[in-house]
Amino acid sequence: MNTNLKISNVTKIYPGCVANNNVSLEFNSGKIYALLGENGAGKSTLVKILSGVIIPDEGEIYLNENNLKLNSPSDAKKNDIGMVFQHFNLFETLSVFENLIIDSDEQRESLREKIDTIMKKYNFSIDLDIPVLNLSAGQKQKVEIIRCLIRSPKVLIMDEPTSVLTEQETSELFLSLKKFSEEGILIIYITHKLKEVMQLCDEVAVMRRGKLVSVSEIKNENIESLANKMVGQNLKTIKKKKAKTSSDQLIKITNLNFTSEDPFETNLMDINFSVNRGECLGIAGISGNGQSELFQVLSGEIISEKNSIEFNKNYIGDLNPQERREYLMAFSPEDRLEQAAIPQMKIFENVALNNFKSSNFFNNGLINENKIKEHSKKIISDFNVNTENIELKSQFLSGGNLQKLIIGRELITSPDLLICFNPTWGLDVGAINYIHETLIKINEQNKSIILISTDTDELLKLSDKISVIHKGKLSKIMNAEEVTSEKLGILMGGAN
Amino acid sequence: MIIDINFIGLIIASIMASAVPLILASCGELITERSGVLNLGVEGMMIIGAISGFALMTVTGSLIIAIFGAMLAGVLISTIFAFLTQTLITNHVATGLALTIFGIGISAMIGKNFVGIPGKEFPVLFEGFKDTIPLLGPILFGHSIVFYFAFALPFITSYFLKKTKIGLIVRAVGDSPESASNQGINVRLVRYACILYGGAMSGLAGAYLSMIYTPQWIENMTGGRGWIALALVVFSTWNPIKILIGAMIFGGLTIIQFHMQAIGVRIPVQFLTALPYIVTIIVLVVISRDSRKIRLSTPSSLGKSFYKDN
Repeated sequence: MNTNLKISNVTKIYPGCVANNNVSLEFNSGKIYALLGENGAGKSTLVKILSGVIIPDEGEIYLNENNLKLNSPSDAKKNDIGMVFQHFNLFETLSVFENLIIDSDEQRESLREKIDTIMKKYNFSIDLDIPVLNLSAGQKQKVEIIRCLIRSPKVLIMDEPTSVLTEQETSELFLSLKKFSEEGILIIYITHKLKEVMQLCDEVAVMRRGKLVSVSEIKNENIESLANKMVGQNLKTIKKKKAKTSSDQLIKITNLNFTSEDPFETNLMDINFSVNRGECLGIAGISGNGQSELFQVLSGEIISEKNSIEFNKNYIGDLNPQERREYLMAFSPEDRLEQAAIPQMKIFENVALNNFKSSNFFNNGLINENKIKEHSKKIISDFNVNTENIELKSQFLSGGNLQKLIIGRELITSPDLLICFNPTWGLDVGAINYIHETLIKINEQNKSIILISTDTDELLKLSDKISVIHKGKLSKIMNAEEVTSEKLGILMGGAN
Repeated sequence: MIIDINFIGLIIASIMASAVPLILASCGELITERSGVLNLGVEGMMIIGAISGFALMTVTGSLIIAIFGAMLAGVLISTIFAFLTQTLITNHVATGLALTIFGIGISAMIGKNFVGIPGKEFPVLFEGFKDTIPLLGPILFGHSIVFYFAFALPFITSYFLKKTKIGLIVRAVGDSPESASNQGINVRLVRYACILYGGAMSGLAGAYLSMIYTPQWIENMTGGRGWIALALVVFSTWNPIKILIGAMIFGGLTIIQFHMQAIGVRIPVQFLTALPYIVTIIVLVVISRDSRKIRLSTPSSLGKSFYKDN
């Protein structure tokens, strides 16, 4: 049977932001639809409306001509709309089976049979009796998909499903989605990754700042045309010049190990690498393979053996972050609003937190506010942070501006080494471009970078050398020119 | 010195009796906490239960009305907590502390008229079997219905959480209220129910103290047992069976240190009085030190307010 889903004049307004501005769209089963847009374009709001999580201020939704009133997620379920969320909606401490039975009315035995049939049909293999937190991201996503399939949905919505998957898992997912589509399930695929749209989808709707910009068939589009529609301007592409090969070693990590007491952190095993001056070492990997532990060990949040880290001919493994900064290291952690900055504090106060010895931010224990403010203003103008007001609380800065502020705060001391972890995660294209340019500039000034990132394209663009971290172990260090994203994908999946 | 075997049985029975209020209050709080709500008002709810039970017994003369009235009083006072934390989204910790202070104050006020009034005898079950088996007889028989209920409760609680659908929903809400809400579970309703249930059990624990354990009303008679019950929940890592063990150790040491004081052992009294608190916590920490299991049984959202975003 044909499924027809119609969104008609949907509007959702939040204080200070129109998330969806009069959006109308129509979908028919048998096709895979892409909903494309940058972070904050309003696509997540739109699909949350379709799944009953958010109630729109205005507008109607029709499924096969029936007007749906979706006031809660259970309304969406009753109307055969299934959704796989970007941040998984699973209960980590419950078993897979408990996660699946919780919203099902079926008996244990018959549900188990049903799940087994689904898993066989689509070639999934998941142990139903282990807690969800022991699953990989790909497996968790399969659990979410099974949860939808149990209800034989007419519509399946996937919200940024590949952000946590390896290349292999992504292609497996695409195969499954194509199979679902052939079986008559209407698929709506939300993403900001253009390659995926070209690869998977039949039609594409582009959103920008809450508005629907265009609807077109994939065969009439290419990556550039979609990118321009998405961003609303022509993008310049930046390229890195090949680094002057220097043999002046800046940092050397020898036999670094870290065993965590928390069983859900990753242990680091035998980490060995070195970075020369003017070089960028990229560390690729799927999130949760030891990146945050590695970052913490390198930054001094976790202290290791003195001799395991040699920086500029000093052994610094046992120093804390502040002491490491004195040796001209700088850090940009992954979580901008939790680790790098304190959201409730003002911009200039956050700047003062990075209190290096020569800063004179404090006199005899008193805060030297003028000095800090002057310093903050310099960062804001040097690093293109789009605000005048240094009294603004940091939580009100956009992700891109906050990241510029943090990188600026770190770089203004002109450190020899910057260690950054997912510096462009969740940023819009303009901010990403700026951060990338900045990082390239650092290398040109003969300073070094360790770039830990889950974005392979970013790594290939910026790195001179690349290694892959998998289950706490580093692969061998490769020259960036010899590496392809396919090869990285294989290493990220744990194969050799 | 010859010790009568039945005397040992009696000591064990008295240890079990002193563990009853802890088991009741802890198992109630365990359900509350498993749904992600931290209610520090256990002491307050217990003392309200204690005065309500005693007052209703004196006024109506009916033990059944008194017991259920005490549970209802626990439910009512926990409704205040639920309304504040779930509907008005106040901070769990501050609200719970306020609840305890409120409970102690109001119970003292109501209790003024009941000081010095003798309690009633509470009927015990299977009295006749007490002497049939040596040692076990006094342990197993001749106790109140509340006593038997308390010792069944950890097993019922464990079964409820592991095997029933509602138990699963409670754990799910405690693990991730956001996910639960997205699954169409009414998080607020579940949490309300769990808070009210915790209130009922604390009320019953209080009534046990004032009607059965020491049948009289004394101001502040819960004497910190509510806090111990809270500690038992945390240090047992939200495991009802370990709560039973912890409550027995605590009860046991309390009774034994009384006897030691009576015999005149040369250990400072203050140390003896502090002993049950310290040892119980140490033992529970040691038997629960598997960090994997802690992660799996700790309600991830404990004490965090849940706002629905739309």
